[in-house]
Amino acid sequence: MSVVARLIEARAARRQKPLIAFNAATLRLGGKTIIENLDLQVRPGEFLCIVGASGCGKTTALRLAAGLYRPTSGAVTFEGEPITEPRREVAIVFQDYGKALLPWRTAAGNISLALEASRVPARERGARIEALLRKVGLPGHADKYPTEMSGGMQQRLQIARCLAQEPTTLLMDEPFGALDAMTRQGLQDEVLSLTQASETTVIFVTHDLDEAIYLGDRVIGLLPHPGRIGIELDVDLPRPRDQLATREHPEFLRLRRQLFDFIKATEH
Amino acid sequence: MKRAAILWRVASVLVAGSFIAAWQLVADLRLVSPVFLPGPDRAWAALVRGFSSGDLAGKLIGTLEHMAYGWFAASIAGIGLGALIGSSKMMRAYVAPSLEFLRPLPVSAIIPVAIAMLGLTQGMALFVIAFGAIWPIMLATIHGFAAVEPRLYEVARSLQMSRAAIIAKIALPSALPDILAGMRLSLTVALILSVVCEILAGLDGLGHWVLLSARAFRSADLFAGVILLGATGYLTSIAVSLVEQRLLAWQAAAR
Repeated sequence: MSVVARLIEARAARRQKPLIAFNAATLRLGGKTIIENLDLQVRPGEFLCIVGASGCGKTTALRLAAGLYRPTSGAVTFEGEPITEPRREVAIVFQDYGKALLPWRTAAGNISLALEASRVPARERGARIEALLRKVGLPGHADKYPTEMSGGMQQRLQIARCLAQEPTTLLMDEPFGALDAMTRQGLQDEVLSLTQASETTVIFVTHDLDEAIYLGDRVIGLLPHPGRIGIELDVDLPRPRDQLATREHPEFLRLRRQLFDFIKATEH
Repeated sequence: MKRAAILWRVASVLVAGSFIAAWQLVADLRLVSPVFLPGPDRAWAALVRGFSSGDLAGKLIGTLEHMAYGWFAASIAGIGLGALIGSSKMMRAYVAPSLEFLRPLPVSAIIPVAIAMLGLTQGMALFVIAFGAIWPIMLATIHGFAAVEPRLYEVARSLQMSRAAIIAKIALPSALPDILAGMRLSLTVALILSVVCEILAGLDGLGHWVLLSARAFRSADLFAGVILLGATGYLTSIAVSLVEQRLLAWQAAAR
C-alpha cells in the first residue's frame, strides 16, 4: 500500500471515530431530570443541528458538550476523553451576544481577550485581530464598542472571538435567534463558509427548523421532559447550500414536513 | 443645545455671584455683628493674608494629607475586602449581617474609642478617617462584584482564563463604575472626618485653624478656613469625576 493510500485510510478511520460522544448521558438539576440516557455521536467535520420544543434540553446538551455541565451519570467525551472542563479547541457562541461581550472593551479588545487567554504575544495580536474582523465582515470596526454596534454585528464579533480560539469545534446556542430574517440568512451563509472551509465540527442548537435543515449534515430532534432523541434525519442536500435553491429543493421540503410533524406531535 | 448649556452655566455663576453680593450686603448693613460675620471682602483678605504669611498653606496641606491617606487606605482596604466578599456567595451570606450592623454606626461614636486606643495621634486620625470612608467603597465594590454578568464568567471559563485574569479582566472592570462611585462618595466622608479629627485631636490642619480662629474671635480667618474647606471638597470631587469619565469612556459610548 502506498503512503498516500495509507494516509487516506488513516484519515478515513479518524473520521469514523466520533469527535464528541454522549454515552447514556443523564443530567439532573435541582431534582429534575433535564436529559435522560442521551446517546449521540458527532463525527469530525460534521455540521449537526439540534432542534426541539422549548424546554427539551437542547441548550443543556450543548452545555454538556462544552464542559459547562457534567453529566449526573453516563459520559460525554471529546476524542474519547471525558469532558470535565471547557477546552480551548471547543468554542461556544452564546445566543445573548449582548451579555457575552465585554462592554468596556472595543471590538478589537474583545477579540484580544481570547488571544490573551491563548498567550498570543502582544505584537502578533494586532494583525490577527484585523484578519479575524475581516473574516466575519467587520473590517474597520475595530475601535467600536459593542454598544455602538447592531445585533448582527455584535454576534459577528462574538463569532470572531470564538474563531480567535482556533477551535476545531464550534458550539452554537441559538446564535441567530434574536436577529431579523435578513441578517440571519446572511450570517447562516457566513457560518457555513467559515466552517466548511476549515472542516470545523459544529453543533448548532436552534428552534428554527428551516435553519436546521438548511445548515446541517444531520438534524436531531429532541423530545422534552426529560430530553431524549426523538428523531434523527440525515440531510442529503448538495453543498454549497443556496438560500433560494436549497430551500426549494424537494428533499428540503420533505425533511421540513417530517420535522414539522415531529415537533407538532411533541407539543401535545 | 450647546447654547442652552452655556446659558445654564452663566445662570449658575450669576446665582453664586448674587449669593456673595447678598452676603456683602448683610455684612455692610451690619445686620450681624462684624465680630461674627465678616463680609466676603474681609474673608478674601484673610485668605490672601493667610497664604502670604504662610501658615494657611501648611494647614491646607495638613488637611489634604489626612484626607488623602485615609481615603487611600479606605480605598485599598475597601476594594480588597469588597472584592473578597462580593465574589463569593458564601462570604456574602456570612459577612452581610455583621456589615449591616457596623455600617450605620456613626463614625463619631468610634472616635473616643480610637482616641482611647491610639491616643491623640496621626494614627488615630488615619484609622477614624479610613474607617468612615471605607463603607461607601466596600459596599459599592461588593455590589459591583456580585453583579458581574454570569455569562461573562462562562466566557472566561471557555477561554480557560486563570483566576487572576478573570478578576483583572472581567470582574474588576465590570465593577469599576460602582467602585468609582463609592470612592467619590467616600471622598466627602474623608474630608468631614479629617476636619473632625483635627478639631478633636488638635492635629495640624484646617479644622484646627477654624477652631482656633473661632476661639480668638478672628471671624475673617474662620471664614477663610471654611471657604478653603469648601473649595477642597469641590475640587477633589471634580478631580475624581474627571478620572471617572476617563476610565469609563466606554459608558459614554453606550449613551
